[in-house]
Amino acid sequence: MAIQKYEEMGDLAIDMLKEIGSIGGGNAATALSSMLNAKVNMALPEVKILGFNAALNLLGDPEELVAAIFVEMSGELNGVMLFILTKEFSDEIVQKMLGKPSIDFMEMDEIDTSVLTEIGNIVISSYITAMSSLSNVEVELSVPQFTVNMQGGIMSVPIAIMGQHSDRIMMITGKFKIDGKALNSNMLLLPDVESLNVLMKKLGVIDG
Amino acid sequence: MIKKISVGIADMKITRQEGILITYALGSCIGISFYDPMIKLGALLHIMLPQKQGTDANVFKFADSGIPETLRKLQAFGATKSRMVCKIAGGAKMFEMKGPGGLGNIGERNAQMVKMALMKEGIRVMGEDTGANYARTMLLDVGTGKVSVRSAGKPEKFL
Repeated sequence: MAIQKYEEMGDLAIDMLKEIGSIGGGNAATALSSMLNAKVNMALPEVKILGFNAALNLLGDPEELVAAIFVEMSGELNGVMLFILTKEFSDEIVQKMLGKPSIDFMEMDEIDTSVLTEIGNIVISSYITAMSSLSNVEVELSVPQFTVNMQGGIMSVPIAIMGQHSDRIMMITGKFKIDGKALNSNMLLLPDVESLNVLMKKLGVIDG
Repeated sequence: MIKKISVGIADMKITRQEGILITYALGSCIGISFYDPMIKLGALLHIMLPQKQGTDANVFKFADSGIPETLRKLQAFGATKSRMVCKIAGGAKMFEMKGPGGLGNIGERNAQMVKMALMKEGIRVMGEDTGANYARTMLLDVGTGKVSVRSAGKPEKFL
């Protein structure tokens, strides 16, 4: 049975999305681990169906500056994927990759930008590769976009895209641990409703 | 202490006499402040998309439905359109979007539609801080009518 709204998803469909999140996130963690030469784990993913304001405030203070990589998905799956790197997460990356103690978001040089963009790019593409081979769906990714901005402003972009036809946003979230340290970061996969139906069909999940 | 009233995304709040209406981290969205200085009545609207689609019940989500509805409410509280001071902020291009599923430059389209909807109501935009590529927080002080915008790494700006 095809669903029209995120709220109509049953437990089975939610479990399916968590599974996708685990496999995608696990693959991304492995890729990150070899880039950083560190132990990277992934917390169990969560599936969240939220109103706009709850989604906007998901990561805390909307005015906090964060770095983010943004990719649009098209093909059999449509939606967006966002990888948000907080200051503490970005510090850890530049320490490991560049040997710098920390990063200044207001004064980033070209190397800082390219390192964070590359990390985001690898995380996102390894996530999507795992997801698409698991579910046998073809996904095309747009050129990744990098920004440093207030996180509320960043979140407003997927909210506007996904909120065109819905008053709720659905996302699969994933957080990384580096060398056992839980550093605030968030990998968000936001598929549209139509794509959920495609996924459920491909994976043989029949709800309700 | 001056009360602060926070306005969410796809949301609108009205207050009078005193207090600060604030909306955080406008990205591609646009904040529209309305102020009638004679009766110190103010509203802050936070729209997310340019045009209402189908039967979407949330009028404050869109520029073309949110603006008339805000004005209607303000007029019910005694405001007059001819006295209305209106300022806008936001409409940034947070990401370069070229993908087929994308909306193009949502920020720019939002700004165009906001201006069009205001023009239709006979209201001129008296202050503006839109475009570029960074998020903004917008505040309207209903006691004074002052509108300010703050963004990362820049001094607070009065519109």
